[in-house]
Amino acid sequence: MKVLIIEDERKIADYLCQGLTEQGWTVDVAHDGIDGQHLAVHYDFDVIVLDVMLPGLNGFDILRSLRAVKGTPVIMLTARDGVEDRVRGLREGADDYLVKPFSFIELQARLQALTRRGRAQEQTLLRVGDLAIDLIRRKVTRAGQRIDLTAKEFALLELLARRQGEILSKTAIAELVWDMNFDSNTNVVEVAVKRLRAKVDLPFGTPLLHTIRGMGYTLEERDAS
Amino acid sequence: MPADGEPAPTRSAPDKASRSWSISARLALMFAVTAVAIFTLMGAALYRVLDRELDHYQREQMQGRLADLRYLLEHGRSPQLASRAAAKMEDMERGDPHTRYWLWSDDPRYRYGDGAERLAREVDPDGRIRVVPDAAGQESFAVLGAQLPANDVRPAVQLMIGMDAGAIAGTLLNFRTALMALTPAAALLVAALGYWIAVIGLKPLKQLSAEAQRIGRNRGGERLRLPVLPAELLNLAASFNAALDRLNTAYQQLETFNADVAHELRTPVANMIGQTQVVLSRSRGVAELREVLQSNLEELERLRGIVADMLFLARAEQGERAHDLVAVSLAGEMGKIIDFFDMVLDDAGMRVQVHGDAQVRVQTPLLRRALSNLLQNAIQHSLGSKLISVRIGLRDGMTAELAISNASDPISPEQLRHLFDRFYRVDDARHNSGESHGLGLAIVKAIAAMHAGDVLVSQANGLVTIAIRLPAAMAGPPGSGPAPSGLSAPREASRDNLPLASPRP
Repeated sequence: MKVLIIEDERKIADYLCQGLTEQGWTVDVAHDGIDGQHLAVHYDFDVIVLDVMLPGLNGFDILRSLRAVKGTPVIMLTARDGVEDRVRGLREGADDYLVKPFSFIELQARLQALTRRGRAQEQTLLRVGDLAIDLIRRKVTRAGQRIDLTAKEFALLELLARRQGEILSKTAIAELVWDMNFDSNTNVVEVAVKRLRAKVDLPFGTPLLHTIRGMGYTLEERDAS
Repeated sequence: MPADGEPAPTRSAPDKASRSWSISARLALMFAVTAVAIFTLMGAALYRVLDRELDHYQREQMQGRLADLRYLLEHGRSPQLASRAAAKMEDMERGDPHTRYWLWSDDPRYRYGDGAERLAREVDPDGRIRVVPDAAGQESFAVLGAQLPANDVRPAVQLMIGMDAGAIAGTLLNFRTALMALTPAAALLVAALGYWIAVIGLKPLKQLSAEAQRIGRNRGGERLRLPVLPAELLNLAASFNAALDRLNTAYQQLETFNADVAHELRTPVANMIGQTQVVLSRSRGVAELREVLQSNLEELERLRGIVADMLFLARAEQGERAHDLVAVSLAGEMGKIIDFFDMVLDDAGMRVQVHGDAQVRVQTPLLRRALSNLLQNAIQHSLGSKLISVRIGLRDGMTAELAISNASDPISPEQLRHLFDRFYRVDDARHNSGESHGLGLAIVKAIAAMHAGDVLVSQANGLVTIAIRLPAAMAGPPGSGPAPSGLSAPREASRDNLPLASPRP
């Protein structure tokens, strides 16, 4: 997956470049609007991260010239969380936006969502290690043993399994499972994960549901370490 | 640029000029100008009256004196009438040196006085007084003449009397001079008195200003003392005091707020610095370093949350309003929040009952955030009874109210009053749990304000009730929410009765 980052703030560009490279992305960086426009228009990327405030050409200008030739998914970074900027960005063809300051996992999740969008092939059975989730019959088994989950527990597990290996923040989980898209300061997600863990992990010894302190949760099979 | 630059100085110049005049000086000047105008008008009028009165008096005098001579000339039958008349005139002139007489006729016998011929030509035939210089041009006389037609004894004669014009002219001149001298003097006196009156009259203002300065020095809760002020300034002082009250409250809030912010931010920052210093002072393994980084990340997340919430409150306080308003059912939204908190409620062994419903026009994410904070608050502070009750209803046609009650220890009225303040916690021990940083209810209040709504808190029978009032939606389209009666049956939160929000692909 190739991503182009057009961002003039070195510190942000550097950590995005490092973080995404380590996550397996091929990253190109442009530090001003002119370079960014050249790269965006003349080369093919799977997704572009585009800052609005740039020296040379601003993000909206780049977006307009890009949209004139192709439909590469674009996620805009807006500094102010003024509604106008977001509306303008989306109207002029951006696919998503993030308000600075943003968290890295948040950006990563959005990038994955944007690149996944094109090839949505509906799976009916999800597997993580010896855990199997039947999405049609809404049945969960681990090591052949049936696990009974409530609807919300199932929704949470389904989300984690669909994004296995990916770190999901509490905010993202609250939004995707409960449709609560605000900073809630609640321990709802922690309680839900604890309950899920008690049913899915505790009886089986090897944990699949991991807490990444300060970041969120991930579901994956790890070597015992 | 010049268009911008020019008006400013021209506007400020007169401002400066008028500001440099004190009220007392302005009043004194206005008094003086008024005095000059009134005195001038009065003087002119008096002068005219005096002039006319003097003229009248002189005429009476002259006519009286002429009457004797007339009688003699009209009724005298003596052949020596001419010489007797001359003798009488001479007699009368001797008796009053300021009066002179003339007699003129074609008959040389009936002539008396120097320059009688010239006067006879100049005198007014209609009997008006005329001022005429004498033959030598030395003195001027006010002259009145009378035509006596011829009779059987004598020819037609012209009799004339002259009185010294200098006396009356002198009187008028003196009067005029006195007026001209006295008017400015009086004006000056009026100005001085006016200034004095103004100074005395404005003394209360000085007192007011002194009072205000007294308050300025020690910025405590001091106020203007009203009894020392006259009635006209009472309103001003009362408004001023009210403004001081508001400022003082705001100031105190700001002070405690600043202290609270500093406190809230200091703890996590100090933790991070300390931990990082400890871990960097020795050579550490990867696991230890990761542990510290993770701990730091947690603290940073907390800081981010506090800063984001404070920004939100600041924007609400700067007057940001809710937008993208839609009509929603309060019971419906509360149901979603209860669903969200389902597992937390279950863990705490608590139930939520919802009664009633109302449609409101709100920005949905903001409403959810407010309801979530309210429910979280109720869960955290519930003591005793495990039931949280939510009552929804219309107060009047315009306002919907959602009141959430939980059992609680008694809270003092003072504490209740501060419940919506930022960083206010009823139990002063700051529990450093990441869940609550004391902004939850402040945010509820801000969200209400963003919708032109309000929040209130009350306490009765061991229940603390927090209510949020929001503008009601006018009779919404059918199907925009459940009918109020449909939701009056208590809804139990432990049931998983809402459609699943499936994860987004």
